[in-house]
Amino acid sequence: MALVSADSRIAELLTELHQLIKQTQEERSRSEHNLVNIQKTHERMQTENKISPYYRTKLRGLYTTAKADAEAECNILRKALDKIAEIKSLLEERRIAAKIAGLYNDSEPPRKTMRRGVLMTLLQQSAMTLPLWIGKPGDKPPPLCGAIPASGDYVARPGDKVAARVKAVDGDEQWILAEVVSYSHATNKRHTLSRRRVIPLPQWKANPETDPEALFQKEQLVLALYPQTTCFYRALIHAPPQRPQDDYSVLFEDTSYADGYSPPLNVAQRYVVACKEPKKK
Amino acid sequence: MSELKDCPLQFHDFKSVDHLKVCPRYTAVLARSEDDGIGIEELDTLQLELETLLSSASRRLRVLEAETQILTDWQDKKGDRRFLKLGRDHELGAPPKHGKPKKQKLEGKAGHGPGPGPGRPKSKNLQPKIQEYEFTDDPIDVPRIPKNDAPNRFWASVEPYCADITSEEVRTLEELLKPPEDEAEHYKGWVPSFPQIPPLGKHYSQRWAQEDLLEEQKDGARAAAVADKKKGLMGPLTELDTKDVDALLKKSEAQHEQPEDGCPFGALTQRLLQALVEENIISPMEDSPIPDMSGKESGADGASTSPRNQNKPFSVPHTKSLESRIKEELIAQGLLESEDRPAEDSEDEVLAELRKRQAELKALSAHNRTKKHDLLRLAKEEVSRQELRQRVRMADNEVMDAFRKIMAARQKKRTPTKKEKDQAWKTLKERESILKLLDG
Repeated sequence: MALVSADSRIAELLTELHQLIKQTQEERSRSEHNLVNIQKTHERMQTENKISPYYRTKLRGLYTTAKADAEAECNILRKALDKIAEIKSLLEERRIAAKIAGLYNDSEPPRKTMRRGVLMTLLQQSAMTLPLWIGKPGDKPPPLCGAIPASGDYVARPGDKVAARVKAVDGDEQWILAEVVSYSHATNKRHTLSRRRVIPLPQWKANPETDPEALFQKEQLVLALYPQTTCFYRALIHAPPQRPQDDYSVLFEDTSYADGYSPPLNVAQRYVVACKEPKKK
Repeated sequence: MSELKDCPLQFHDFKSVDHLKVCPRYTAVLARSEDDGIGIEELDTLQLELETLLSSASRRLRVLEAETQILTDWQDKKGDRRFLKLGRDHELGAPPKHGKPKKQKLEGKAGHGPGPGPGRPKSKNLQPKIQEYEFTDDPIDVPRIPKNDAPNRFWASVEPYCADITSEEVRTLEELLKPPEDEAEHYKGWVPSFPQIPPLGKHYSQRWAQEDLLEEQKDGARAAAVADKKKGLMGPLTELDTKDVDALLKKSEAQHEQPEDGCPFGALTQRLLQALVEENIISPMEDSPIPDMSGKESGADGASTSPRNQNKPFSVPHTKSLESRIKEELIAQGLLESEDRPAEDSEDEVLAELRKRQAELKALSAHNRTKKHDLLRLAKEEVSRQELRQRVRMADNEVMDAFRKIMAARQKKRTPTKKEKDQAWKTLKERESILKLLDG
């Protein structure tokens, strides 16, 4: 019932998305023409080696048009991306709903433990599809974008991925990747943690081209998810990502290596958080 | 035109993302029709691609904004100066077309004179580039460039002649008039004053000889004083005054003068004697008895003349009195014309020249003085007229005020009050009376 409506809703959204994409392309082809003009004017100005006021005003006009075009293009693209996010959230809801429904329906304990490989792929995918924060000029990256920490009174929503410090049965404390099911809700098989033991993972990727300040810098101490695991360990940033799709290159603290650090490993932006502990326990 | 290197713009390469290469899924979706739709599994890749497009577009946007800002600032920087100038040109472009340009206008013009304007040859613009730039400006701006500033320049040049006379100028005139009175004293110092030219005075050779002698004696006295300081003696030589020196000099001169050929007798005496005496110049050696004889012949005339050769040092006044007596006799006889004019003048060319020049100067200064007097009189008259004109201007303003009040009243569709009418009439009459004074 709900699922069906969700499905149709999703279908709707998909159609809308398609339309948006088509619009985007129209917009882009239109602005293409203006950009070519600008290019030609630049060339002419450079060959003449003089800037006459005629050229200046013309250039101003061209720039203004190009600006308007770029803005329009951005708007449509943003709308498309929003649509995608909507669809995704709907999908997520559907999944959760299905899970819950499944839980109720099924009497057997659900064989929900995935195979490791599948989990890893999932993790990787989720890392990749973390939305990229592309702010408008003048926008600052919000909290939970890249390295920007969450605001003080941030409450993790259900479905958010977090790094949680849990106590394993043998007394060890470890930071693990977790998903918030609910806030201060106690259920079995779930960990109930105080807030300070939970660090929300970033919700947006930071774009190195536009917001380099939202990235962790070299030699910063962070908690990073060790590849192919679901545990966070302390690490030093070796190199921040160059392009939006790139990963951090980090050095994990590892006593099994000679200099105490592992060779550089790649970790997605999503799985790198600021480290609050002063020292490993 | 500014050079390329001055341009603060960076010519960015605005190329949009080539979606065919970078965003294949996006391209594929585009290619599909509406019916096919997008598969859910494609969402992720689509998202990535869209993000790429968006990031490039927003980057482009930022750069464009920055460049436009630079362009605007750059243009404003230059445009400001230009517009400022043009604004002021506009103000001055409508000068009051009175025949009385005011001093304020001149100041206003001078204040913005250095501001360049195209087409003004006397503009002191340091950068001719800017002028060229203005020429090629938008057509909209062309009419704003001052059309013709020739009237401004004309009024400015005429200003010194038409300006009001200030009391300071009158005072200067009066002061100028004063010196003619004490001109005489002023000139005495270096040029012989008009009333009199001082007597020649001693010839400079005599004077200098006198001074030199005095100097030497002073030096000698000083040396002696140094030597005799203990005794407290002041040599008698130091008390030599000019009289003694004169006597000394005359003695030396007298010694020098003796070998001269000139005889002590006056010119007239000599001439007379020449006429009377026949001198035999041919045999000078045998002359000695003849001059004696001639001297004896003419002994009747004046015994004092015979011992000419022997008694050279005659008493000087003697010859002089002889000379004057002969002169008188000759004048009485009618042989010689009485010489009214002082003889010295004809021999002294310098003095003659001086006198001529003095006469010229006198005439000129008299002429100047009369002109200055006239000028002063006219200036005073003009000052009083100026005051009247000032009053006329004030009366004008009052009349205009009254007029405006009446017009306002009329606009409000009510008849002007009696008070306003009276005031208007009063101001009008006042103005007319002042004008009559002025013209009268």
